[in-house]
Amino acid sequence: MCDIIWCKKDMGDGKICDTVNYLDPYCFWNWEGKVACAHCGTVYYIHMIQGHMYAGPEEKPGEKPDILPLYADQPNNGYFNYLPGTEGRTRPYTCLPRHIYLGKADMVKFSIRGRPVRGWRPQPPSAGVAGSQGYFWDIEKLSPEVWEEYQEKIRRGEVKDW
Amino acid sequence: MDWEKEIQKLKVCDFEELPGPKSKEELEEMKMPFEDYCRRVFDVGNEFVKPEALKGIRWLSTTMYIFTPHSVANLAELGAEVIKIEMPRMGDPMRHTSPFNEAYLYPLHDTRPMTGTGLGFTNANSNEYFITLDYHVPEAKPVFYNLVKMSDGLTECYRHGTFDRWKQGYRHVMEINPRFIYVWGGGFGYGPKIFGGSYDILGQAHAGLASITGTHEDFGGHATKATNWVIDWYSGTQISVAIMAALYWRGKTGLGTMIEFSQVQAATRCCGYAVPLYGRFGIVRQRWGNWDTQLCVHGIIMAGKSDFPDAQNPQDRFEARYVMVSAFQDADFQELCNVIKKPDLYSRYKTHKERVDAAAQIEIYKAIEDWAADKSRSEVVRILKEAGLLAAPVMNDREVYECEHYRQRGTVRWNDDPLFGDILVHSAYSCGLLSKTPRRHRWLWRPVGADNVKIYHELLGYPMSKIQELYDKNII
Repeated sequence: MCDIIWCKKDMGDGKICDTVNYLDPYCFWNWEGKVACAHCGTVYYIHMIQGHMYAGPEEKPGEKPDILPLYADQPNNGYFNYLPGTEGRTRPYTCLPRHIYLGKADMVKFSIRGRPVRGWRPQPPSAGVAGSQGYFWDIEKLSPEVWEEYQEKIRRGEVKDW
Repeated sequence: MDWEKEIQKLKVCDFEELPGPKSKEELEEMKMPFEDYCRRVFDVGNEFVKPEALKGIRWLSTTMYIFTPHSVANLAELGAEVIKIEMPRMGDPMRHTSPFNEAYLYPLHDTRPMTGTGLGFTNANSNEYFITLDYHVPEAKPVFYNLVKMSDGLTECYRHGTFDRWKQGYRHVMEINPRFIYVWGGGFGYGPKIFGGSYDILGQAHAGLASITGTHEDFGGHATKATNWVIDWYSGTQISVAIMAALYWRGKTGLGTMIEFSQVQAATRCCGYAVPLYGRFGIVRQRWGNWDTQLCVHGIIMAGKSDFPDAQNPQDRFEARYVMVSAFQDADFQELCNVIKKPDLYSRYKTHKERVDAAAQIEIYKAIEDWAADKSRSEVVRILKEAGLLAAPVMNDREVYECEHYRQRGTVRWNDDPLFGDILVHSAYSCGLLSKTPRRHRWLWRPVGADNVKIYHELLGYPMSKIQELYDKNII
């Protein structure tokens, strides 16, 4: 586990937020950006290097967070917790590398010899009864943008036999 | 009458004028070289025009992971129609395992768009049809029995007696279909440890195989498992052998068989002479790493330099420096000693009996590695080969892929998978070539329940409304 953000934000009613936001190493091991507290939503700037807090947490009122913690709990409040995937508070855990959360997913579309492969995510539904799938994936019809890229690869001589 | 002329008239043709060999010797001369003959009869790349040996066999597979699925994939590659039954929405747990990160192929199922099937599923489920059925539910029983009636056999991998308890074990299905061949691929099989499940590593450990694999502790080694699941693949294939025998027996008697297959038991066979050695002398076999207990020199040595010092991949940059060397005959060993400039080694270990001794092996291999310390892997191989000795580089996956020998034999090849596109495979084509009925690879796998309509509607004749109903109830 990386370092944590223990939010001590004053909630205004004489209580503090007192929430531990756990920063999972999968995302935060080497990371710089803004994280929101799962309970009170306070945005903190952090800079994490090798799992240790190099800078921050520093409050950034009024700014939008880049990411949410994976899990948070309140150990002084009977271990009340926010499980992964609680909407608006924690993010879902689906084993995806960080760049996918940031919207830069780059699924493999071509094999090492430059021919199209399928299997990227998400795939369209089968449209068959009881999850049935067809026997042939017509790339030109079902993935025209990949087909275009393939034609371009052929023109550039990037498609090989081996 | 001129009999000679009359006989000439009666001749249909003149043997001498026919094309082709005129004598046995000429026939031998005209035969194509063996290499060409092999290329013609095995005709790599044209497997699909030939018949399939197991065409007509229909097999059910209620299996998981690698061990039992592989036993059935063997049948599917040889032409059997294999129906893999998985839990609805979930599928075989192996779909959800290694390798991690991005090595998944999507889709898995309509209801789980962000989940895929891991490449670890490869080779254990080729060419199969994938349906779903939750046979825990009483409503699923008649469906299961209908499948049994129309099939030749089943492979299952549940814990002992589970299928029996669910009334779908051999004792029950043989009443429905006496020709049914039933395989229970259990971890330990019946016996005192019947409750144990199994994994490949457990098989390697429990059978004594891991204790004789790897380097001795005296040299810093430990009991070792082979990195890949060799006992899963091996014991799965052993099940396939048992199935073939059962099919042959059924052909003679018309009766099915129950095959009970313990994975930990299968691995004991790989231990070779270890067991009889103990029985005769009370000696417990030890590990001997990359060398050989029976032959010397016959092992893997480390050269000083990698063949690819500038490569980005560490497997190439650091690891491409191992060489397999074999020179155990006296003359070969003498030549090896000359090559490494240690003729005194030969004069001290002139007989094989002397050099196979443990202390001698340590000295000999060290001398070879000292000689190879300033050489790259390919230099070592080249020098030894030029001296007429057997030497080969220890290759990694990339080198296997690029190896011309494998390419020409079709061992590793690209397949245009109907669902997943361009896929590099070695499954069917790594298992020996058959000239008349070759193995073949159709598809890698299909999504969970992808063939529900094909099997339940087209094979069993269920109306589509019934299939939809079962699907809505999560039974399929």
